[in-house]
Amino acid sequence: MNADASPQGVIDTDIHQVLDSRRMTDFLREPYRSRFLSGSRGPGHLGYWNPNGVMRSDTRLGDGRRIEGSPETLGQYFLDVYGIEFGILTGGNLHIGLSPDPDYAAAYVAAENDIVAADWLPADGRLRSSLTVSPADPALAAREIRRWAGHPGFVQVMMPSGARIPYGQRFYHPIYEAAVECNLPVAIHPGSEGVGISGAPTAAGYPTTYFEWHTGLVGSYLAHLISLVTEGVFAKFPALRFVLVEGGVSWLPPLLWRFDKNWKALRQTTPWVDRPPSEIVADHVLLTTQPVEEPPNGVHLHQILGMFDAGRMLMFSTDFPHWDGDTPDFAARALPPALRDRVMSETARELYRLPERTKSSLCETHSD
Amino acid sequence: MESVGTGGAVEYVVASPDELPVGARKLVEVAGRSLGLFNVQGEIVAVLNVCQHELAPVCRGRVGGTTLPSLPGEFCWGREGEILACPWHGWEFDLLTGQALADPRRRLRRYPVRVEGDRVLVTL
Repeated sequence: MNADASPQGVIDTDIHQVLDSRRMTDFLREPYRSRFLSGSRGPGHLGYWNPNGVMRSDTRLGDGRRIEGSPETLGQYFLDVYGIEFGILTGGNLHIGLSPDPDYAAAYVAAENDIVAADWLPADGRLRSSLTVSPADPALAAREIRRWAGHPGFVQVMMPSGARIPYGQRFYHPIYEAAVECNLPVAIHPGSEGVGISGAPTAAGYPTTYFEWHTGLVGSYLAHLISLVTEGVFAKFPALRFVLVEGGVSWLPPLLWRFDKNWKALRQTTPWVDRPPSEIVADHVLLTTQPVEEPPNGVHLHQILGMFDAGRMLMFSTDFPHWDGDTPDFAARALPPALRDRVMSETARELYRLPERTKSSLCETHSD
Repeated sequence: MESVGTGGAVEYVVASPDELPVGARKLVEVAGRSLGLFNVQGEIVAVLNVCQHELAPVCRGRVGGTTLPSLPGEFCWGREGEILACPWHGWEFDLLTGQALADPRRRLRRYPVRVEGDRVLVTL
């Protein structure tokens, strides 16, 4: 090296120091101090913050285990406590389906499904599970579905409701083809709206707070449901059942009214939609209850449940252990008595082909 | 648990003041009921450990402050140590009055508390 090139006075214009995170709490003001301490730290982490946490804080047992952390604790401290006859696991990491890397996402969900099959399903006869797939590459998702064909413990295919494009589009049809071939309904679950390579969480763009984001999640459900019908997914796959998990309930009737009204004028643009969309939805789509809407006058919820075929389309869910869960007793009280049996168990029993209720459990129900 | 009858109501010894310094919480079983004891800035309050909403163990929730009324875009933090948030649905309650912050019709069930020497007594 030429000695003449030795620097004399150097000015480096890019050095990354690392700040002591404990010092951040000395300078951050509330409510941001609590937010920072709870782990929501902005870039690199989706910025939506729930001050209560998404996981219920009281599911940690005295010995440090979490109720949802093993099939044994889930059985003892949740299924037993609430008298749950069968529970459908939905716990796969759906966010990974919005990874920019479809191969990693497919490998990741496959590993999760392996864990469920090895550790969870054999441990408690009351458990069934969703088969998590990443829709980022539908061919890989279809391969994952077929890998488990005939497995008695996996009772539905699960995808994130956050997506790049609406789920009716033909890009996704290989997933539905495989699901029908394996006699599995397909379900979507919220939470990944705005994550990774998904579209913005709302049609208007990115909301500011968790409160705003969470309240608007129904938007992706509207878009997917309309897409599934208009793109002819149910005409192409007549055996397909689609489950809208945790997407809300009360929005459905007015959407279907509008859907039918528009169909009368615009049906020629989708000639395969050969009957009113509301009829197609009733035959193919199911919804889960939680978080059930809580109108000030509970009768209003009963009226809404009379505006669609809730006895055939609605299934109870807790979303345990998330912060906005519903307990079985709370949901049952909110339902009209005539719908309770269907919603609390029987529609799900049919959809997921669960064993008939035993005589003793029937007696228990009637003695309640 | 030691109890002292006072007419219809019964007074129970539930703790010693040493166990409840300012900011502390203690969960106790009293006459078959789960109660939460909280020292809120020197005042000990006793609350039934049941949320009216979905019957959650509300006294296991976070105790802290909250944002006070403010204009859009402003945040004023206050009431530190006075607010109990239910661990299930996050409903916030004023420990000093029992009132739910978001619903005038909902409140915590509170019980009278008396400190006498080295005993904290709750009347059920």
